Amino acid sequence: MAGFSAVFLLLFLGLAARLFHLQSVRGDYYRSISTSNHIRVIYRPAPRGIIRDRNGEILVDNVPSFVISAVRSEFDTTATEEVASLIGIPADSLRARLGRASSRPFRPFVVVDDLDLIAIGPLSENLHRFGGLIIDVVPRRRYYHGMSFCHIVGYVGESEEDGAFEGEITGRAGLESTLNYLLAGQPGYTQQVVDAMGRVVSEFEGAGEVAPMPGHDLTLTIDTGLQELTCAILDEETAPGAAVILDYKTGEILCLASSPGFDPQTMADGISVAGWREISQNPERPMFSRAWAARYPPGSVYKLISAAYLLQYGFITPDFRPDPCYGSYHLGGNDFGCWSVHGRLDVVDALARSCDVFFYRTIQLGSMDGLAEFSRKFGLGRRLLNILPGESRGLVPDRLLMDSLYGSGGWGLGNLLNLSIGQGELLVNPLQMAVMTGIFASGGEMPGLKLVREIPAAEAPWSDLELSVSAVSTVVEGMREAVYGNAGTLSSLSSMPWEFFGKSGTAESSAGDHAWVVGFIREPEPLAIAVVVEHGGHGGAVAAPIVYRILAGYLGDGG
Amino acid sequence: MTTIKTDRVMLAALAVILACGLLAVYSASRAVSGENVFLKQVLWMAVGILVFRLGATLALRLVEDFAYIFLVAICLLLLLTVFFGGGPAGRWLIFGPLHVQPSEFAKIAIIVAAARAFADLKSRPRKYGVLLVFLGASPAILLTWLQPDLGTATAMVIILLMLTWWAGYGPDWIFLVVSPVFAALSSTKLVFWLVFTAVLVIILLRRKASIPVWLFILGGNTLIAVFTPMVWNLLHPYQQTRLTTFLNPAADPHGAGWNVIQSEVAIGSGGIWGQGYLQGAQKGLAFLPARHTDFIFSVWAEETGFAGSLLLLGAFALLAFRLLRAAKVSMSEFGSILAAGCACYFVVHVFINVGMTLGIMPVTGLPLVLVSYGGSQLLSAMFIAGLGMNVARNWREF
Repeated sequence: MAGFSAVFLLLFLGLAARLFHLQSVRGDYYRSISTSNHIRVIYRPAPRGIIRDRNGEILVDNVPSFVISAVRSEFDTTATEEVASLIGIPADSLRARLGRASSRPFRPFVVVDDLDLIAIGPLSENLHRFGGLIIDVVPRRRYYHGMSFCHIVGYVGESEEDGAFEGEITGRAGLESTLNYLLAGQPGYTQQVVDAMGRVVSEFEGAGEVAPMPGHDLTLTIDTGLQELTCAILDEETAPGAAVILDYKTGEILCLASSPGFDPQTMADGISVAGWREISQNPERPMFSRAWAARYPPGSVYKLISAAYLLQYGFITPDFRPDPCYGSYHLGGNDFGCWSVHGRLDVVDALARSCDVFFYRTIQLGSMDGLAEFSRKFGLGRRLLNILPGESRGLVPDRLLMDSLYGSGGWGLGNLLNLSIGQGELLVNPLQMAVMTGIFASGGEMPGLKLVREIPAAEAPWSDLELSVSAVSTVVEGMREAVYGNAGTLSSLSSMPWEFFGKSGTAESSAGDHAWVVGFIREPEPLAIAVVVEHGGHGGAVAAPIVYRILAGYLGDGG
Repeated sequence: MTTIKTDRVMLAALAVILACGLLAVYSASRAVSGENVFLKQVLWMAVGILVFRLGATLALRLVEDFAYIFLVAICLLLLLTVFFGGGPAGRWLIFGPLHVQPSEFAKIAIIVAAARAFADLKSRPRKYGVLLVFLGASPAILLTWLQPDLGTATAMVIILLMLTWWAGYGPDWIFLVVSPVFAALSSTKLVFWLVFTAVLVIILLRRKASIPVWLFILGGNTLIAVFTPMVWNLLHPYQQTRLTTFLNPAADPHGAGWNVIQSEVAIGSGGIWGQGYLQGAQKGLAFLPARHTDFIFSVWAEETGFAGSLLLLGAFALLAFRLLRAAKVSMSEFGSILAAGCACYFVVHVFINVGMTLGIMPVTGLPLVLVSYGGSQLLSAMFIAGLGMNVARNWREF
């Protein structure tokens, strides 16, 4: 096998030849680099991806920010005064910086940073007259409509990760953080041979200069006008709150508002300690996105699911009327109250007038696990999007959970009664409530949620819900009657120019009731909405006007 | 019975390599703070010598009998590592203080199993026999790739291809089989493509191929070479990066190019006689990454220069040629292919690793066997050397 030996020989000779080239032919060159010189890597940051809203409006982009640096050894100090006046800083200040830099005379030091094009103008026109001055451009993150998008888009900050170069920025909050891998891109670099004093000897011979690779742009399904309007309306309330609006035909989220907010620009630009303390210690927690991160009891808006559950599995028929509501229900030595005396009613009226006793009586036909299972298919108890930081799952109680909380036998039918009206252990976030509403509005046909166009739609757990037509139409009729019926809890919304289907909720909480309204319209756009005001009080009284103002402001008064 | 004779030249070559390795690891370890790298390496080497003896004295019949069982066992270990692997690259199985890298041992399994399979094919030829050998080896190779360890998986494929040649299947035949891969790779540079096509033409001329075969092979490969860059350019830059980092995680887009440049500077600055032992400037400046593992050759070449580098490479060449000689004289088919496999193991590793430090091969994270710091690699290389010695000693067997 002479061929085999020949291949071996050829491989070894190849290595030897390359060795000879490096060590003998080019040995002196490499030795000169190695002994007194070394290679400096200068990183060139990659521009981060731009984020736009559904209409192409820019929410965050990069603007050039100019940095003036000086190399002490090459700078003519007689020009100090003139340069200082061109930059627009006091001459003494420049002199002081030059003095401090004399220990490292060959390395550039920053004189002024974060200048815009206008501020840099006078110096850049005269730059050729002064040696040792460098103007660098770095991309800087600029947020538009920042206060309204602070929770969704988030902000960036300097990376503290191992291996990050100096000044590398990374996402810190919101989609900037969770989708950092798409937005960030790859930084590039150039290599210079620098001597022991830091002086640039030459660009490294033959070494690759790697160009930065820009990040990936993203398009949100959010409508900026609607988002801004909603935030403004929520901000007018004295209590914190949140609103979620989605298109139930497409599953696209149009608005994810949470109040109060903060200005992401100040975060990205580097916030002062006092400013940070003010935001982070504010009892209303402006950094917290209530739209998807909060966990509230849903209160009576959950009756939509209870009613659908009872109808879907045939526990009740649409015209079934249980014993009347006398204002409370007595079970095992406990009184389960209703907020009013409703008399005898069917499920449509029970939804419209939000009668508790109706559900106390009927839910006993079903079971805790049945209701829990049904609720989970509406997206409760799970993360719906998974790309928003801190998205809460909420909590759907079932037998297993109740046993672990109270011990087997430590709880009973009373807990099921409480669950049927959205109280007790049950916790949800506003996004989940908007989705629930959208499911009813679409008869269960709503596609998976979408927030970022470039990312595939989220999983839709309701796709195998198979809601019966009669269950949906009965629940929707209840939502219509809540607005237009006799003594409906949302009659204040009957003056809206479009037919509105809704359900109010007043979720009991020790620090004051949460005010909920969920609902949808079919015309002029298929929108589902959920609004909550934290400890706001009565849903019909507090949250309903907000719904009205948001929809009226977005769609016009309907002429 | 004839007297068993140890190949003293092979032993000497091995000794020179191990000595250079210890010296280099000691020098490199002085810049590594924390662990006591050198002492550990000495310990591994002591164990390695025992393993070498074991490999050299085992009954070859036994090795042949257990070849397939060994391969299956290694595959299971590799599978475990895919799910429970630890360490910086996730390639280690961690048992308390012991970190085992199964992909290193998988190379032994591949060589031994291939030797047995090819030997069987010699005595009982089968249609598509080569295909069966590759099919049998593919689980181990794929699992190694998934470790993730593309470098080792590639080395396995190359060793297998060389063994196919050794087992009597013409090299041109092998070249034709893998030509689509070469075609795709050659599309990066015109020179590569010209060389590749020239080789293809020579092979086809030699085989006196018919016109349809000419059209099929030359045309097909040209199409691949043309379309590869087009498809590549259709991809987004970030998709390209993802693809390359998926295929080869070691090629970190910031790090890899930078490491090679530093390595070239270190080696080049060694000159003819070197900077002097323990005097390497690049190493001391911490510019050299992974200097006690993957880039150990750079440390050696910087400090001992062209002279020292040639000594080490020469010792490797000598080892490889003595193994090849053992393969030639062995009267047993299994022994012959086994020894050839051992020779290929060393040549492939040396060429890929040293080639990487010299900037002529891609960065793959393959260690310089017998020299780099690392227990798994040292033990498996010593065992393979032992198996080769075994064949050299028992060439009359069977």
